[in-house]
Amino acid sequence: MARLILGTKPIQTTVVNPVHIFAGNRLSPQSLQARLRQKRSARYIDAMTQLDAGGHVHSTAANQALQDAIQQELPDVTVDALPLGVVSKCYLGAPYEVHTLDCTGGIVKHFKCGETLSPLMERARSLANHPTYAFIEVYSTKLIAVSASGQTAIIEA
Amino acid sequence: MSTERIIHLADISFIVGSLHSLQRDIGSVSGQVESVGQELNATRTELSQLEQAFAEFVAADLQAKELSLAETRQVKIRQELETTFGYYGVVRRQATGILQAADVSLVRQETLRGATEELMLSAPRYWLAPALVALAAWLGDNKDLASRALAEAIRRDDEKTSLFFALIARRAGRAQANSTWLDRYFGLQNPYQLDRQTVVMLDAMANGVFGAAVSMQCSKRVTAWIEEISQRAGFVETQRTQWSEALLSKAPHDNHGERYSHLQRLSPSWKSLNDSLNGVAMHAVVLAHFHGVFQGEITPAASMLIAVDDLLTKLVTRFDDEELPLRRKEELCSLIIEENGDKRTAQSRYDLQSKTLEEQVDFTQLLTNAAMHPQASQVSRATQRFAIAHSRDWIVDAHQDVAARVRMKIPSQIEVSLEDWIGTTTNGNNEPELLGSIKTHLQKREVDALSQVKLGMGHWAGIVFGVVLLLMSFSSGMVTLLMGAACLTWVYIAHRKLAGMREKIKADYMRLQEQSAQAVRACMAEVVELRRDISKRDSSALEVTGLLKGISPEQHILSSHDSVRRVMVAGQ
Repeated sequence: MARLILGTKPIQTTVVNPVHIFAGNRLSPQSLQARLRQKRSARYIDAMTQLDAGGHVHSTAANQALQDAIQQELPDVTVDALPLGVVSKCYLGAPYEVHTLDCTGGIVKHFKCGETLSPLMERARSLANHPTYAFIEVYSTKLIAVSASGQTAIIEA
Repeated sequence: MSTERIIHLADISFIVGSLHSLQRDIGSVSGQVESVGQELNATRTELSQLEQAFAEFVAADLQAKELSLAETRQVKIRQELETTFGYYGVVRRQATGILQAADVSLVRQETLRGATEELMLSAPRYWLAPALVALAAWLGDNKDLASRALAEAIRRDDEKTSLFFALIARRAGRAQANSTWLDRYFGLQNPYQLDRQTVVMLDAMANGVFGAAVSMQCSKRVTAWIEEISQRAGFVETQRTQWSEALLSKAPHDNHGERYSHLQRLSPSWKSLNDSLNGVAMHAVVLAHFHGVFQGEITPAASMLIAVDDLLTKLVTRFDDEELPLRRKEELCSLIIEENGDKRTAQSRYDLQSKTLEEQVDFTQLLTNAAMHPQASQVSRATQRFAIAHSRDWIVDAHQDVAARVRMKIPSQIEVSLEDWIGTTTNGNNEPELLGSIKTHLQKREVDALSQVKLGMGHWAGIVFGVVLLLMSFSSGMVTLLMGAACLTWVYIAHRKLAGMREKIKADYMRLQEQSAQAVRACMAEVVELRRDISKRDSSALEVTGLLKGISPEQHILSSHDSVRRVMVAGQ
């Protein structure tokens, strides 16, 4: 069927308006989902995979830098929609298995095998141990597995 | 004596006779009532038949009236059509002739030009008339007239003119003109409402009917449609969800218990493990599916070329939009006449026909159906490739999601349960630890079992009673001595039996330890094998991603296979 141009009601589409994004407006659920699915930058992945360096455990400045990295990576996402934490495989060696970054308190913790994580983070543990993923972003209703290339996979709760 | 005499003397014959008479009367009345009932039934049946006959008469009368009305209306509509659009039919008939003449070059240019110009005068609003003038001018190398006629045809109906010249250019083997017109035609389409002819054109494009260069050009238009549709809120997520479900449906439902018999028997985690094995097995199935779609040479079916040629035939023979309301009324009248005035049946047949003719589909629905259900949507493998290539990004995202979901469900800790002992392992590398654990557990159970094997209260009472009897035998004599000795002998025999039981328990636990150790070793071996199996199957996910990322829409448009002109069949 030919496209109707004049004298008819245009087809209703919701187009993400960049002006609105940068004005800090809240994204619609669909736009938020689309935004969170976007490939992560190499700089962000580097920052997240540096958690093993160990300095973050006690350094407030280093933890703040991590939180800044998250905000810079997802600048158009409001604070309440940012990840609550990050879980990734720990390369400190045995007995450590995974480490977590609690974004609310800015705390980095390393966990040994068998040691229980908080219920929120625990569900990301098996994925964090999978070699495909560099780290797992933990949200209240979903997990986003980020591979080393920045490719994302969303797992809804 | 006197009472008997009175009865004897009474004459009751009259009463008896009356009673008989009454009985006969009742019988007669009953017979009459029965006869009346039968007559009533017969009357009812006749009434029902009459009612039915009346209803049939009314229906037949109604049908006859409808039939008569339909016939009258049909005549009126035809007259109106003849008056208003009579020349359209002439144009259509001549169009077929002109196309045939153009195909076989049997008619002089002047004749063609004269005929088309006459048509132009006859049909002042019909798009096909200037289009035929343009065609005749084009054949006669009269560029100026062709341009002006084209401009008029486009003004009258841009979409149909574009499709008409796209198809004409294809028949003439003019790739450049074909590309321009086809691109114009696709550019005019609304991707949310594609009609049947656009679907045929898209299928033909994917099959390379128009040639690779033309298809490439139009493929860009299709990409633009997808970009436009993707802007719709929630659309992309819906596509991903649909693809996730489609990919998950490819997961097998096998029972791997035969291969991992010990884990099936002894692991409470077995169900999750079996599900995980099936989940990761999905990647190989998906890979095989896409390999199947993308491997092998495809030649466009002859039916495809016929369908495209048919489009041209339909375009020049089909009724114009202006005529459609009247043509529809005429069609309904024809159906009523065909059904002998049964308006309801005719209406349902008409509705069914209209639905098929007016079927419009969303472009993405077309893509999804072609990619996921090629059999149901009756599309060729080339179109399936084309659809998958255009849906590639959604499929890759959906596959990533599904792979992550499956991976998350793989149990990180595998439990092994032997009676009341439970051990856990991650990769089966803690076998010595588990063997030690079960050994300690069984030793504890053995100690507990052995501690249960001891003399009971009865035995201790027997000892005390026997000793007392023995002491009493010094004063009471032989009988007491014998009784005391019997008690102690009974206790001694029981004690001997306990020793035998202890030996048996120890032997049982020894055997149990050996069996348990073997079972744990077998489970650990199977865990190692299972982890390797899962990892191997999971690695196919990368191949799926690689395959999908390597697909581009441009690669999957077949090159042209048809350069032969087809002469149109008259009267189509």
